[in-house]
Amino acid sequence: MTTTIQSLEAEIVALEAQLQNAKILLSRSQPPSPLPIAPSTTTVPTNNTTSPSPQPSSTKQTITPSSLHTLLLLADSALPLGSFAFSSGLESFLAHHRTPPAHQPALFARFLTLSLSSLASTSLPYVLAAHRQPGRLTELDNDFDASTLCTVARRASVAQGRALLGVWERSLKGSCISDVDALKLFARAYRAQNSQDAQINAHLAPLWGAVSCALGVDEEQTAYVFLFGHARAVVSAAVRASVLGPYQAQAELASGELRAGIEGLLREWWDVETRDAGQTVPAVDLWVGRHEKLYSRIFNS
Amino acid sequence: MTASFPPSTPAGRGTVHLTSSPSQFRALTYAYPLKLISPDAEVHANRSIHTLFLLTYGGGLVAGDAIDLNITLDAKTFLVLLTQGSTKIFKTPDPQILSIQKATISINDGAGLVYLPDPVQPFAESSFEQSQMYYLNGPQANLCVCDWVCCGRAARGEMWEFWRYGSRNEIWDVSQGEDKKRLLLRDNLILDHKRGVIASASSIARRVDDHGVFGTLILRGPMFEGLGAFFLEEFEKMPRIGEKKWDGEDVPKDKVGSLEDKRRHRLKRGEGDGLLWTAANIRGFVMVKFAAREVEGAKHWLKAILHDEGSIESQFGERSLLCLK
Repeated sequence: MTTTIQSLEAEIVALEAQLQNAKILLSRSQPPSPLPIAPSTTTVPTNNTTSPSPQPSSTKQTITPSSLHTLLLLADSALPLGSFAFSSGLESFLAHHRTPPAHQPALFARFLTLSLSSLASTSLPYVLAAHRQPGRLTELDNDFDASTLCTVARRASVAQGRALLGVWERSLKGSCISDVDALKLFARAYRAQNSQDAQINAHLAPLWGAVSCALGVDEEQTAYVFLFGHARAVVSAAVRASVLGPYQAQAELASGELRAGIEGLLREWWDVETRDAGQTVPAVDLWVGRHEKLYSRIFNS
Repeated sequence: MTASFPPSTPAGRGTVHLTSSPSQFRALTYAYPLKLISPDAEVHANRSIHTLFLLTYGGGLVAGDAIDLNITLDAKTFLVLLTQGSTKIFKTPDPQILSIQKATISINDGAGLVYLPDPVQPFAESSFEQSQMYYLNGPQANLCVCDWVCCGRAARGEMWEFWRYGSRNEIWDVSQGEDKKRLLLRDNLILDHKRGVIASASSIARRVDDHGVFGTLILRGPMFEGLGAFFLEEFEKMPRIGEKKWDGEDVPKDKVGSLEDKRRHRLKRGEGDGLLWTAANIRGFVMVKFAAREVEGAKHWLKAILHDEGSIESQFGERSLLCLK
């Protein structure tokens, strides 16, 4: 009796894994559309207490317990990427816009929108491309490096990307349900190069796509968590820079504006090829680049 | 002035081929609305420096105009590309009808290009896209290019009121062959008035932090190594943001004309002009991003810093800085 139950349970696990694999293959064989998120009929809601729930997906989303588990891992601020060390230009932005404390939350809201838009336009096509075609990882890493024209931004992206590669190798590799050859090859090539003529940098955006894919997270959730993680890191930096209080910070993260913003950015950059990724907020390059010139700093970017 | 005007050249197409022995334009063709003017070559530092003015009839592009310029610089040839005044982008009847400018520039080993044009000036309700594709054939290919855009007709109160402005700079290494080309650098600026999440949340003026002009300078190759190092050093030496300033007696008495003196002048003038800049050493390039309240301020700063370092003028002549006057 026990053996029958055990073998049935084992069969269920195997079938679920098979199903996941098939879903990934299916989603990869029909890129890049359709985007599961339906277009919002309303614009950004203005009041977060009465904000409507996000638009229902046009295709029914299924979050299986195993993918929920993985999502929780990736969305956890305890994921050791060192993201807390980076403010993505917020600290420099504040230094360039001196304002009384009472006006700082409004100023922060402006920064968060600009920062998320900039991240989506420069990075989201790389996250999605690496998820859809992990075999392109080396090429995507090179092209992303060629498009990151600022020392500070580059350092932040590479520090977190290398940390993610390390976490994947040490902690997540065993839990991958999908084909991980591309990641393995990439990791091996990265470790094998000597520092003199290193051509592989391990930027965060493409690695995020490839690692999420290997863990069985679908494209949309991968992209959503990528943008949400950025928002969370910037909001957390705002708390530590004394721009927001902890409750204001949670309200910012829970707000309908942020949800609608992330969903809108996903739709906007879903079909964009990496060669058409670019900077939509040129001021970000100035703020981030000039972070090095701040007299006092608490962040690395 | 040398130019042929074969009737077969398609509209807006220009072809330029500079050869080294003899040092001359083997090809120089163009068709309406593009016009290319080449004054006599000059000799600087024992090199023959050719100059080409990129002009358009009416001083700008109307909706539907498409420029397609192809330039090849043979090994050890040197070209200065200039404009005569800013390239105006006129209002389009429909945001979907663009004005387009495409430049494909091949630079062989040992050749050098200085491309310091006036900024592009997109009028309110204009749509423009340009791309500059550089193909470098070897580690000694030299490049100094500036790509900048201003807010429109500031005198008429226009502040970034165009529909769309896109500018792409890509630099490829083709030394291993065309099929093994590798992307070295991509700088792609996308400013769209209507499209996207950002359009509902933020004006273009906000996206450029209310500056009136925004630009990128890209340097690469041994001819601009000194200049690149100079930018990095000047950035390093810039006073820190938020540092207490000690006015009055503490102003050091640097010798007039010394580098420190020039730097202080640049800083002081830049402060008044709302000038912000940053420089980075990336993949063998020096990238400079800058912004200022008005075109004049940015021009003045760029000219001053290029002049203080001096290698552009000594290698390419004073004429190469003509657009910064």
